[in-house]
Order: sequence, then structure tokens, then C-alpha cells
Amino acid sequence: MSAWMGRRKWITVSLFLLPTILAILVFNVYPILLNTYISFTNRNKFRPNPDCEVTLTGLLDPLCWPAFRENAPTGLGSPYTLQDPIFANYDALMGKLFQPDALLSLFLIIVVFAPLFGVNYFNKRQERKLDEKIAPGLLWVLGIILTIALFFILDVPKSIATLMDTGDFLAVVLRTILFVALRVPLTFVLGLILAIILNLEDLKGKTFFRVVLFIPWGASSVAILLALVWQFLFRQQGTINQIITQFGGTGPIWLNNPILAFGVVVLADIWFSYPFFMVSILGALQSVPGELYEAAEVDGAGWWTQLMKITLPLIRPAVLPAAVLTSITAFQMFGTAFAITGGGPQRGAGTPGATEFVMVYAFKQIFQQQNYGRATAFAVLIFIMLFLATLYSLRITKMTKGAYE
Amino acid sequence: MKRKTKPWIRVLQYAILIIATIYAFYPVWFAILASGRLGDRLYTLNFLGMFIPTEWTFENYRVMLFERPFLTWLTNSLKVASITTLASLLVSTSAAFALSRFRFKGREFFLVFLLAISTFPGLLSLVAIAQLLTALGLYGKHLGLILAYTAGTLVFCTWNLKGYFDTIPVEMEESAMLDGCGPLQAFILIALPLARPALAVTAILGFMAGWGDFVFASVLVPAPDSLKLAVPALYALANSMSVPWGYFAAGAVIVIIPTIIVYLSMNRYFEGGLTLGGVKG
Repeated sequence: MSAWMGRRKWITVSLFLLPTILAILVFNVYPILLNTYISFTNRNKFRPNPDCEVTLTGLLDPLCWPAFRENAPTGLGSPYTLQDPIFANYDALMGKLFQPDALLSLFLIIVVFAPLFGVNYFNKRQERKLDEKIAPGLLWVLGIILTIALFFILDVPKSIATLMDTGDFLAVVLRTILFVALRVPLTFVLGLILAIILNLEDLKGKTFFRVVLFIPWGASSVAILLALVWQFLFRQQGTINQIITQFGGTGPIWLNNPILAFGVVVLADIWFSYPFFMVSILGALQSVPGELYEAAEVDGAGWWTQLMKITLPLIRPAVLPAAVLTSITAFQMFGTAFAITGGGPQRGAGTPGATEFVMVYAFKQIFQQQNYGRATAFAVLIFIMLFLATLYSLRITKMTKGAYE
Repeated sequence: MKRKTKPWIRVLQYAILIIATIYAFYPVWFAILASGRLGDRLYTLNFLGMFIPTEWTFENYRVMLFERPFLTWLTNSLKVASITTLASLLVSTSAAFALSRFRFKGREFFLVFLLAISTFPGLLSLVAIAQLLTALGLYGKHLGLILAYTAGTLVFCTWNLKGYFDTIPVEMEESAMLDGCGPLQAFILIALPLARPALAVTAILGFMAGWGDFVFASVLVPAPDSLKLAVPALYALANSMSVPWGYFAAGAVIVIIPTIIVYLSMNRYFEGGLTLGGVKG
């Protein structure tokens, strides 16, 4: 806008941005600084107090600020100090990762997935060529077979077990990644199927189904209460087991079995999140011109071909950013797992449980163990991961935008 | 597509829809059923009772509404969520206005910086925020909670609103400025009314951030009963052994049903107001 120039413009802009900047500084930047600093100290429930003589502690810990001293009570226990060596918290979380057998396991896992990346790269290169193409589908089948073969030859489960033993960080992160890898594709498929059916023109009762299928989205804003309801359904005497009993079987104790508990959390979290995909895909489907399908029909393309060649490529730009963002939020899922299993079932004391995903782990470390030093180090590592993932998602959003504008 | 669908495909489609409907609706239905059951019985022993209300009493609702501080919790939640909504709308609209209507050095950087900073999960900064609020004397008070919520919703709201403002042509405001409006006046008179869908969505999401939150509320306002918010208070109720389940269910239904109705009535807006805003999630 041209009306305000020079100094006047700067004053206006600063005035309008000032509240945001202040809030961000106080509630986002400052916690990150304090967190990073604490992650290098041995602060825990026995050493909760700051030693205000240390310059950085005196500067960062609010308990040391003169203006606030009368408000902030100091607890029992001795002051915390910097760790010696300084990376001790990080070492406890993931130190063993840098030992030979763990690195070997990591390398083996990468080797297993190499064929898939190879196929992807090769197909991308092939796209530019006009002739002498090898069918991409065939290559994918080959790549997948090779991957599965390598999976068993190199004994990947053992490598993963080795990695899980390197410390809490990888154990928790790998579990969370498994959760995301199950939850997001399943949510997408469910959302896609429902959206395609709801998009049919001659379907009766469409409005009813649209409204009912949208309910979980509304419920997801009070997620913790609904997650409790899911827990009720899967308790030992819960509804699911009562139904199984009616049919003459005996239901398992769902939440005591690591695999079943994991499945229940995935099922409940899909419930919360599929409407978002359904609505995004429905919106995208409405912009796909119907003539494309008619033309495909004339050419004799079947239902599957239409889905793979028309529907999916055309809804890609709308759905891909949504999928990446959902993956990031799924990675940070807290309420569902916390309310249903509380992170358990645990195999032994002191080890993270089967559904102890990153946020549940952090929450328990902070508020139940009061292991601040360890928890903040974990937070810093997670922050780095999320930061990179977000940058990547921005790139994808920009890419898809650029291609279709 | 005018082609007739084969009957078995139609049957399959309806089968999928009906299974999905049961999946979507049963948990909510279960809560409603449990809220009408007497005493501490969460489950019913007859098979039919799991699906239709074979017994029904309003006793749980009566106890929750008149003998427990549930109405206080609801009022607290409403108060905190409404003030959060107003505050975050005000702050993020002004920021989005500056970011959308002015070109200045560091604008792009600021936008990306906001996004990068917000990737630090709120739960992990909770200890620092709790300490800070303690030092300020705001720990355990609603004001501290409102400040934390407002800051938490700010990045998303600013991005969403800025994205929507960008789609409204500046020319309209410029022509109003030719008629003697200042830039701010032109923006308020011309652009803000046009941005109503985005403002509505932002308001609802801001409201829900306060209304449905569990972690912040349970850590920052742990006690006493008269200050608690509805969701953490209900969660605590469900986890205490001495309280009958029916009470929790009745309270949960009172919280959940209006929330779902608000979302359903906003359905249209969500499709428009979010997709246009550029940021989804």
C-alpha cells in the first residue's frame, strides 16, 4: 500500500506487530532458550533450585529474577549445576547409537530400503526419456520383492531391536514413526474411500452420511474425553469384549498386550483424524472435471485405472500438503495415547511402554519423574526433527502450489 | 456420469457407509447411553442395552448440574475460551493486516520465523511457562492460562488470516483511500467484512484451543475446584475411583454435544475458510 511511506510506515508496522512479537518472545522463544539451557544441567526432582550465582542460570531462570523473588517459592533440595560432561543428558538418551553394532544395524536398515529409493530415482529419470521405457509398475514390484527379501536376509527385526536398545530416544521415536506410518496412510485410505462414495451424484441419504461421518472432527477438539470413552470400550469388561462374549469367545485384555494396545490407539486416533482427510479430499474431488471420467470411459478404462490415472494425480496438490502436516501433528499426538493407555503397557520398570510416543514420554519425564534435564534434552532433539520436517513440508506446499497455479 | 451403477456395487457402497457410520457414531452414542445409566454402572449387562437405551435416568445429569461444581467448571471454560478467542483474534488480525498489506524488510523472514518457532511443541515449553507465570504471580490463575492459550494459537491464526487477506484485492481499499479513508480505516471497512469466513474459522479454532485443552489447563490451574476448567476436571473425575462413571458420562455429554453441533454448523466454513487460507491442519 502506497499511502504510508518511510518512517511512518515503519512505526505502523511495528505497532501492529508488537503484541505478536511480545507474545512470541515470552511464550515461544524464551521457553526454547530456557529448555536448551536446562538440557545441559542435571536438574531433577532432587535438584530443582537455581544457583543464581551462575551467570546463565541467573539470567534465564525466572526464579532468580529480582522482581519475582517474592512470588516464586524455592522448593526443597539442592541447586542444579551444569552436567559434567556437558552432553551427559544427550548421551543418556542416545549415546549408544554411536557404537559399532548400533551403527551397523542402522546401515543394514538403510540397505533394506535402498531398492525402493533406487526404483523411485530410476523411474524419475526414465520419465524424461521418450522410448525404451521399462514399465514403472514392474520396477516397483521388483523393488518391493527385493526389499522384502533383504528384510529377511539381513534380519531387520534384530537390527531394530538393537537400535531400540540404544536408549530412550530411538525407542520412543521409532515407535512414534511406526505409529505415524500406520495412522496416516490408513486415515488417508479411509478418507479417500468415504470421499469417493460421498461424491457420487446419485447416492441417496448423502447429507445424512456427510453429517454423521463429520462428527469425530467435532469430537476431536475435546479429544481427551473421547479418548477416555475409547478406553472404556476396550477395557477387560468393556463393550468390545462383551460383544465377543455374546458370540461365545473370550476377549483379550486389550490394553495389557503391547501389540493390541498399539492397535487400539491407532484405531482411536484414526477415528479422530479421518474427517479432516475426508473433507479435504471431497473439496479436491469437486474440482475434478467430470468429462475426464467420461473420456476415460470411452477409452475403456476401468474403475481402478480411473482412480490411479485421474483421481489420485488430480487431488494430489490439495492432499499432499495436508498429508505432510497431518504426519507432523500425528508425530506430536498426545491425548489419545495418554488417556487410553497412559503410555503402557511397559515391559519393565524404567523403560518406555509400547504406546509411549514422543509427547507422552516427554510428559511423563517432566511431570511424573520430574527428570527435567533428560526431558529438556529430549525436547531439543524432537524440536530439531520437527523443525526439519516443517521446512520440508513448506517446500512441498510451495512445490505443489507452483505447479498448479 | 450417467451410467447406471450395478446393484452389488451399490450394496457395497452402502455397506461401507454403514460400517463407517457405526465407527463414527458409536463412541459418542456409548457416552450418551452411559450417561443415562444409574449409579456407577459404566456398562450394561444385557446385549441390547449396549446399542439402545433400555434404561434411562436423568439422575446423573441432576447430580452433575446441582450437586457438583460442574456449572462453575463450564463457566470457567467458557470464560477462558471466549477471552482467548477475542484476544487472539485482535492480536492476530492486527499482525495479519501488517503482514498482508505492507511490504517491508524482513517480512518473509518473520513469517517463516513464526512457523519455525511454533514447531517447538507447546507441551515441552510448559515447564518454562509455568515457572514464568509463577514468577509473575499468575500461576493458578485464569489470566495466566489465557495468556498462554493466546500465545499458542497466535501463529496459526496469523498465518491463516494473512493467507485469506492476501486473496482480497487491495484495489478495493485503494479506491476507498482515494475517497479519503486512511489505510487502517479502509482495511476495517472494506477488507474485514469480506474476510468473515476466515475470521469465523479462526475464532472457532481459537475457542476450541481453550475449550478442549487438557494439558495446559491441568498443569497451569491444578486447583482449587472453583477455578478448574471443565475438560481437566472431568478427566480427573473419570480417573478417581470413588466417583460413579455415570457422572463423568453425563458431564462429558454436556461438553461434547454442543462442541459437535458447533462444528457441524461450521462445516461449510471449514471447507472455504481453511482451504483459501493456505495453511491447513
